[in-house]
Amino acid sequence: MRLFALIAVFITGGLLLYGTADFPAKGDPHSPANAGVPGTGPSISQYFVTETYNDSKVPNMVTAVLADYRGYDTMFETVVIFAAGMAIFAILRVVKGGRNPGTGIHHRLDKDSSGNGDHYDIIVGTTCKLLIPVIQLFSLYVIAHGHYSPGGGFQGGVILGASFILYAMATNLKASLARFSEQRFMSLACIGILIYAGFGFLSQFLQKNFLEYGVLQKVLLTDGPEMARSHSMLGVEVGVAFTVTAIMFAIYANLSSAGDLENGKGL
Amino acid sequence: MWQLETVLLIFLVVAALLSLKVKDLLSASMIFGMYSFVMCLLWAAMGAVDVAFTEAAVGAGVSAVFFIATVYNTKRRSSD
Amino acid sequence: MSIFTIIAVVLICVGLLFFLGAAVGIMRFGDFYTRMHAAGKGDTLSSLLVLLGFGVYQLNNFQSFSESWPVLLVILKLIAISAFILLTSPTATHALMDSGWEDGIEPELKNDKPETNALEEDMPQPKQKEAQA
Repeated sequence: MRLFALIAVFITGGLLLYGTADFPAKGDPHSPANAGVPGTGPSISQYFVTETYNDSKVPNMVTAVLADYRGYDTMFETVVIFAAGMAIFAILRVVKGGRNPGTGIHHRLDKDSSGNGDHYDIIVGTTCKLLIPVIQLFSLYVIAHGHYSPGGGFQGGVILGASFILYAMATNLKASLARFSEQRFMSLACIGILIYAGFGFLSQFLQKNFLEYGVLQKVLLTDGPEMARSHSMLGVEVGVAFTVTAIMFAIYANLSSAGDLENGKGL
Repeated sequence: MWQLETVLLIFLVVAALLSLKVKDLLSASMIFGMYSFVMCLLWAAMGAVDVAFTEAAVGAGVSAVFFIATVYNTKRRSSD
Repeated sequence: MSIFTIIAVVLICVGLLFFLGAAVGIMRFGDFYTRMHAAGKGDTLSSLLVLLGFGVYQLNNFQSFSESWPVLLVILKLIAISAFILLTSPTATHALMDSGWEDGIEPELKNDKPETNALEEDMPQPKQKEAQA
């Protein structure tokens, strides 16, 4: 069986390597993706490079492609993250008195019966107290500044969720859940998706296509459709960030406590 | 800078093979974090800074934590 | 070659030397605690030296405050990264050491009687290693 798997891997790898021979060279300006097929006008990547700023006044074209031109796709990417969180919830979460399927992680302060957590608490706790506000501020910057520099809802949301995970690892899960309870993160995950879909339905309500932000200038009271698209991208990114933050922390809380959201039962 | 990319690609292949080979699943998830980080450097070397940022936050940061949490919930050692 | 480039090269080379020392220390030291000592100390200092070298190298592009303020911005970012490394790296080393102690990893001591170690009396005893699964 191992031999068969090895042969299958080598055949697949060989076919993939054979396929790469047909690729154009990296960064080739004459490849069809960059220059377009002859006789059919400019390619789509040329359009993005030249017209993104005129369309939506967003300098970072990656964010514009992600949140505007390809917004429908990104909406369902967010739904995939949401579904992953829901799957973890459905598999692992046990209510009180139910069956406990796993063991869970010891957080630092759980097994602190001998009183030797003191020195740990001071050093790591102080560092976390110093760092977590900076991490959260940076994540908000990443979310809000996604138009101008690399970043956006996914990255900022992950960093914001990681700050809550860091707090849970430095103290214990209960302290973190006191700041960001299960009810809150579950509803925040849903609110994020609803914000994204809300922008889509709002533009549909104003008699345009789903997620066609330009028409939202009537609602957002901007100078023109370009600024409306820019502001709508920011709103959509905030929705993505809500969902990703909540789901990241939900996955960690459920995984680390084996689903009972207590402190875990020990190894 | 093809020299830098070659070195990074060699690291990538070594990390990928090592994370499959190691029996201790905790070590394997750590080496997988290293794989993600090398991948992040490769994206940055190719100029895809957005993707590199995502890989650094998701691949090297949070997914390693999730892997470790999962390993602690199951067995530590791999049987194959 | 300007003076800034020379200082930067010297700083980065010294930083790389400390990186080498940290790597050799991780490979060659005896037990967990001394290895973590090599990793934590060498890593922090060498990262700081390399980042300082980058910052000094950036001063090559500096002409005046009015027109080359982006250079100062880059240096400020490097200083911020240094501050984060200075905060996080020793804390991470400490957390790993503490976890190892709680897990019952015995340090290698020179004399065979651990209870004669003055440090040992203040510290909680490590838990006995449980049978490996």
